[in-house]
Amino acid sequence: MKIKAIALNTFKEAIRDRILYLLLFFAAVCIIFSRLLALLTVGDKVKIIKDVGLTSLSLFGALMAILMGTGLVFKEIDKKTIYTIVSKPIHRYQFLLGKFFGLVLTLFVMLLLMSFIFLALVFFHTFTIEWEMFVAILFIFFELCLVTSVALLFSCFSTPILSSVFSLAFYLIGHTAWGLETLIKKIPPGLGKTMAQALYHFLPDLENFNFKTEIVQNLDIPSEAFLYSVLYGIFYTLFVLILAVLVFRKRDFI
Amino acid sequence: MAMVLKIENLHKSFKLGFLLKKMKILRGIALSVEQGEVFGYLGPNGAGKTTTIKCILGLIFPEEGKIEIFGHPHLSPKAKEKTGFLPENPYFYDHLTASEFLDYYSQLFLIKKEEKEKKIKSLLRLVDLELSADLQLRKFSRGMLQRIGMAQALLNDPSLIFLDEPLGGLDPLGRKEIRDIIVRLKDEGKTVFLSSHILQDIEMICTRVAIIVNGEIINQGALQDLISEKILFTEVILSGVGEKELEGMGEYFSGHGDRTLLKVFKEENVEKVLRLVQSSKGKVHSLIPRTETLEDLFVEIVKKR
Amino acid sequence: MSLKVKTDNISRKKIPGSSIIYIPSGKYLKYATFGNSSLLADLIYIWAIQYYSDYTIPDMYEYLDHIFSIINELEPSYLDPYDVGAVIAAYEAGDLDLALKILDRGLEKNPEQWLFPYLAGHYVQMINKDYKLAQEYYRKAMNIEGVPPIVERLYADAIFKSMDYKRALQTWLEIYETAKEERVKKIASNHLYNIKATIDIEKINEAIEKFKERYGRYPMELSQLVRAGFLDSLPKDLDGKEYIYDSRTGEVKTPIIPWKR
Repeated sequence: MKIKAIALNTFKEAIRDRILYLLLFFAAVCIIFSRLLALLTVGDKVKIIKDVGLTSLSLFGALMAILMGTGLVFKEIDKKTIYTIVSKPIHRYQFLLGKFFGLVLTLFVMLLLMSFIFLALVFFHTFTIEWEMFVAILFIFFELCLVTSVALLFSCFSTPILSSVFSLAFYLIGHTAWGLETLIKKIPPGLGKTMAQALYHFLPDLENFNFKTEIVQNLDIPSEAFLYSVLYGIFYTLFVLILAVLVFRKRDFI
Repeated sequence: MAMVLKIENLHKSFKLGFLLKKMKILRGIALSVEQGEVFGYLGPNGAGKTTTIKCILGLIFPEEGKIEIFGHPHLSPKAKEKTGFLPENPYFYDHLTASEFLDYYSQLFLIKKEEKEKKIKSLLRLVDLELSADLQLRKFSRGMLQRIGMAQALLNDPSLIFLDEPLGGLDPLGRKEIRDIIVRLKDEGKTVFLSSHILQDIEMICTRVAIIVNGEIINQGALQDLISEKILFTEVILSGVGEKELEGMGEYFSGHGDRTLLKVFKEENVEKVLRLVQSSKGKVHSLIPRTETLEDLFVEIVKKR
Repeated sequence: MSLKVKTDNISRKKIPGSSIIYIPSGKYLKYATFGNSSLLADLIYIWAIQYYSDYTIPDMYEYLDHIFSIINELEPSYLDPYDVGAVIAAYEAGDLDLALKILDRGLEKNPEQWLFPYLAGHYVQMINKDYKLAQEYYRKAMNIEGVPPIVERLYADAIFKSMDYKRALQTWLEIYETAKEERVKKIASNHLYNIKATIDIEKINEAIEKFKERYGRYPMELSQLVRAGFLDSLPKDLDGKEYIYDSRTGEVKTPIIPWKR
């Protein structure tokens, strides 16, 4: 399939991009640094390793998603490699989806690599392979897919620097939007409140995918939480991708 | 003869700058290309040549106008399946090798696996890049990129091929190679649409041309119809005859050593010059009659505007 | 190089991390973590441990409440800080109320952790000797699933120490009857012996006082108290043996040390 061809090419291109290795290196450093921190704490030593590890995966994964995603389409337009593709019998949406899946594949591989480093470190401390960590990592992956789609959207019409800023803003807002809920309760009912509520529903809630604390502490998570998180992720990502396709469709390549 | 490309009343403007000022690029372009032609699309820089091609290929969306390829709307898959495109200053994926690159593109055409390998090999042979099949594109020279670009344009065995400034930036050998490929395509019955501002090459290979200036087609027609066969002057390079003797025959330029370049405007003077050289026991190094070239026509037309 | 050594020494004097005072409560701090609040809780906790291990810092306990409340707000389910915070508060800062506050918060956020009320009862008993309060805490701990049985015994003991002998007897009786191990039964019975002995001895002492008041001397034998009408009957210990009486000092003792039965 044409989408597959583009996806694989995107994957190959991304893998050869040096910035990925830099980020992978930093992630590994963070994870190993947690070993040092573990020495300083009183009580549960493995907890800090898990917390640092998961946060590193999440942060560096997001960085990878944003840095690669924002360059993705822009580079093709800027370097004009896109000319010979769009002039072929291929729909523009196929091109965009191909890019998206290629990037998702890259993130998956990178995340897997980082997970192995992480789990190896945990293993040295607890002498068990903690498969539950993969659940938290899986949801980090879903979150990253959504962030990627947003980066891709911005990449369709904006320069990499601006796109990165917007995507980063999306990520940060996504992790603080839950605060809006408490704020809304304090607003007296009226236009302001309805607007705020509308805004709250529209803004991304990336905390939906954040199961880090619960997994590390082995707390119970209701299975509905998992289900709704996945569905939320899929729908929001689809929404953003559709937006991207719409923007991309009528774009003039000057 | 079937009409492979037909453009009617094509308009396009761009909005530029912060205030989104409207700049009109194409003002009602209309042209047609028949099958088997090598069609030259000429114009000064900024006239709208590349914009026209981009409209045809679906990279840009026109404001107004109709474009048909093989009788189909220009954006339909049927139209695109049989077209090929080589953009100006082509740039492709750095890290792929030549064969990987052609392989990737052939996947976009859904060319079957068995055919794919054969095709890639034959194309690489055609553009003389067989030996560089496993070389990464980032190591390609300008000329090589142009050639691999030509290869990818021919992947789907197109009947109509668009070449945007295919000879730009190439050395004379490179230009000859591309010209030869174009002629070969013509011999195979394909139609070639090429835009350029290097007129000597156009003159050599094109059968029909259209001249675009400031977004409008000024002139369109068969090359031989546009340029008269009239001889403008004859260039004679000779030696052994002094300036004094050649006075009145034509424009005199002294050259290397004892060679002289003489521009003879009147036909009858040519005979006279030849006889003069013979009697002076001199030598005629070359004798070239200059007819009106495309360049002359072009300069004339553009000046008028 | 000597300059560097000098500057190193100077910077030591500064209070490290005192800027934590300016951090607002953990509730708002959560917003700044972008989903990594448990990591921040870890880091602040680690810092707090280093801070409270350095005894050269003056007034270091001033912000103990603030610091640990931040940690707890950031990650209410992180158990170690409650534990350690309470220890620092109780034994190093000498602030039992703060220790209790921290442990109460721990229990509130993590109702299945019997450790917190257990520790609270323990501190209260050791430091303040407030046996009534200790009882309450032990009772709370007892109601939580998974609590070790020793807590019930501590509860009963606290009741005894608060001198509510009737309830103490009841509780120890319950423990005796529900005990599954022989060892526990023995302990319970020893306590019951002890309580009865305490009650009995108190009664006897009361009677001895009254006797002394009337007759100006200690009775020769305990049975004299009954004959004189100060006691209805002479109580015997749980095993049915008589209490030992020293007529010279007026002291009444158990014939056997309760724990050596």
